[in-house]
Amino acid sequence: MNQQTTSMSPENASGRLLNFHIFRYDPQQKGDKPRTEVYQLRETPGMTIFIALNQIRQQQDPSLQFDFVCRAGICGSCAMVINGLPTLACRTLTSKFKQGDITLMPLPGFELIGDLSVDTGKFMRELAERLKLWLHPHHHEIDVHSIEAPMAPEQAAALYELERCVECGVCVSACATKQMRETFVGAVGMMKIARFELDSRDGRTAEDFYHVIGNQDGVFGCMTLLGCQDNCPKDLPHMQQIAYLRRKMAATIL
Amino acid sequence: MNRKTHRVKWSGLLDLTQSISGILLAIFLWVHLCLVASILLGAEAMQWVAKTMELSFLSADGHGYPWVVTVMAVLIGVLILLHVLVALHKLPLTLKQQRALNKQMHVIPHEDTKLWRWQAITGVIVLLAAPVHLWLVGAAPETIGPYGSADRIWNQGGWLLYVPLLLAVELHAAVGIYRVVLKWGLAGDDMTRIQLRKAKSIASAIFILVGLASLVAFMPHAS
Repeated sequence: MNQQTTSMSPENASGRLLNFHIFRYDPQQKGDKPRTEVYQLRETPGMTIFIALNQIRQQQDPSLQFDFVCRAGICGSCAMVINGLPTLACRTLTSKFKQGDITLMPLPGFELIGDLSVDTGKFMRELAERLKLWLHPHHHEIDVHSIEAPMAPEQAAALYELERCVECGVCVSACATKQMRETFVGAVGMMKIARFELDSRDGRTAEDFYHVIGNQDGVFGCMTLLGCQDNCPKDLPHMQQIAYLRRKMAATIL
Repeated sequence: MNRKTHRVKWSGLLDLTQSISGILLAIFLWVHLCLVASILLGAEAMQWVAKTMELSFLSADGHGYPWVVTVMAVLIGVLILLHVLVALHKLPLTLKQQRALNKQMHVIPHEDTKLWRWQAITGVIVLLAAPVHLWLVGAAPETIGPYGSADRIWNQGGWLLYVPLLLAVELHAAVGIYRVVLKWGLAGDDMTRIQLRKAKSIASAIFILVGLASLVAFMPHAS
């Protein structure tokens, strides 16, 4: 078992052979058609999909497009559909797939840049502008001399829990409601609304939030299919959060 | 004055209506099945249940008022209509939406989404079959009983309607209640969700078995 000494070159490695079935399509290239290409790679200890993709690009096909920045599950760039599950490539070990066949698809529901790379940034920005996802303080005049109101540690912790979202787009891709209804805000939108709703520094009332998400593109359009809850790579409590907002928004009717 | 009409919160009202009408229909369904299952205890038991449901204890001659059943059928029909009108907002009705759903299920075959698709399919089956059932019993409430019902089910081919209706409605109702609980956050963490899912499957299985057994139990009474 001297797997420690495996080198980067596939010939010298002792691991099993992995077959990567990768979606390929470059919308920028005229005449290009969507297809699946197969790449073979020797598995090395601790190999993630992210490491494998980099090796494929380095050694086999420099034209392969995919996104990554941090390789540690923090930047949210490398989300893709891995064997039918949308998740982060950098946090998915190849050893998880006993068959050795790994199919990679770009996240559905986003503008395709090429191959496995999608434009989540554009979607997130539009969402933030549409839902006004920033703090709306109680008072508009800013007095730099006034002392900031303290926040209870419990509330700070609750906010921090929701702040862990890395905007990877998995919840949007995993949501069949979103795929059927393009204008649906998805779990990420509701998570961020819930974050400001919980924030004591935010001056918006339940009534104000109703105007933003109290519709069928928002919380009342959610059909509780739970793709968001089951796939979020950061394990955010989407189900509870959306239910909380639903109760909160429904309560404004009474 | 104008402000008031403008402020009706339709989206919220519709979502609430869907959940509440669904819960009421599910409760009715399960109680209804328990009452029908009285045939498993014999003809007299079912006869007694049928008469009691016609409020025989309020009439002097003990025959009751069969029209009470017709009124119930109409009320349930209205409740179903309400539930359908609201739930329709959620169904993929256009070709574009159906294609999007199919593609999604192909790329990301997620379990609870599959469950929802079954809920939608069974919902359409119930939508088609339930009005026929309501019409059959609502138009002839006096025939409900061990012999009249047996005749309807086994001599007039009623089972062709009742078997698919039973299967569809028992799946639809259990999945629906499961979803309502999660939707409004009435259950806690993921562990409860797994238990809830199990409970809903067991509920479907038991009610389908009881329903099928009841249909079979009517057979000897069909002359």
